[in-house]
Amino acid sequence: MAPPAKATTKKPDPKARALKAAKAVKSGASTLKKKTKKIRTSVTFHRPKTLTKERNPKYPRISAPPRNKLDHYQILKYPLTTESAMKKIEDNNTLVFIVDLRADKKKIKAAVKKMYDIQAKKVNTLIRVRVYPNQTQRSLKAPQENGGYVCWGQIN
Amino acid sequence: MVCRTSGKDARIKVHELRTKTKTELLNQLKELKAELALLRVAKVTGGAPNKLSKIKVVRLSIAQVLTVISQKQKAALRDAYQKKKFLPLDLRPKKTRAIRRRLTKHQASLKTEREIKREKYFPQRKYAIKRFK
Repeated sequence: MAPPAKATTKKPDPKARALKAAKAVKSGASTLKKKTKKIRTSVTFHRPKTLTKERNPKYPRISAPPRNKLDHYQILKYPLTTESAMKKIEDNNTLVFIVDLRADKKKIKAAVKKMYDIQAKKVNTLIRVRVYPNQTQRSLKAPQENGGYVCWGQIN
Repeated sequence: MVCRTSGKDARIKVHELRTKTKTELLNQLKELKAELALLRVAKVTGGAPNKLSKIKVVRLSIAQVLTVISQKQKAALRDAYQKKKFLPLDLRPKKTRAIRRRLTKHQASLKTEREIKREKYFPQRKYAIKRFK
């Protein structure tokens, strides 16, 4: 039988390992010593933190993520062309749109920028309850940069 | 020969849509949506009747394009998951909840070895009574 070789190429021979283990137990090696009782410094017991693994699913639950149903075209429905809206265009440099109820001011700003190339300075919104409960009316103010308005309809 | 109206397509043909690629379809979708936006504005500002009647046509076209896109996507996904063991839940057969929980055909047909042997050695016999003469 070959002498127990500690070379990395050769696996240590089982008998030698057994002898080594027996010696360790007898001598009370630090690795085998019984764990000392844990000192508790607090009266409350907190759940010990254990290993938390990241999700790694074997298959996605939905095959493909659903498309964005609230795109720019869905957000801005149409502009309002009432008399008061026209007045706002002239006097206050604003445009008034009917907008989807689920859109927020940031989305409206982005939509208007994308669709009509307008940089809105401020967006106000309100929810129209009187006639069309599933629509929202929102108005926005555009800075008068090049002195150009966008006028949507005739003035009645 | 279809005589085309000025500008846009007279009518979208779905079988033509199916031959297009995804990017082409998405572009067409964007154009249609932009057209719809214009028509909606025209509706509010008192547009010509031919524009107003076009709204319905455009909305239908948008729906058709979206349907084709989603059908193509589903088909491509099914191809991609063809060889895999686990399918995403929306690609699995839908049927009904109860049917999905039943034993599969294979599972229901399994028999113990005892039963197999029994059937083999002691099958159900059929007898006929011969006319006694």
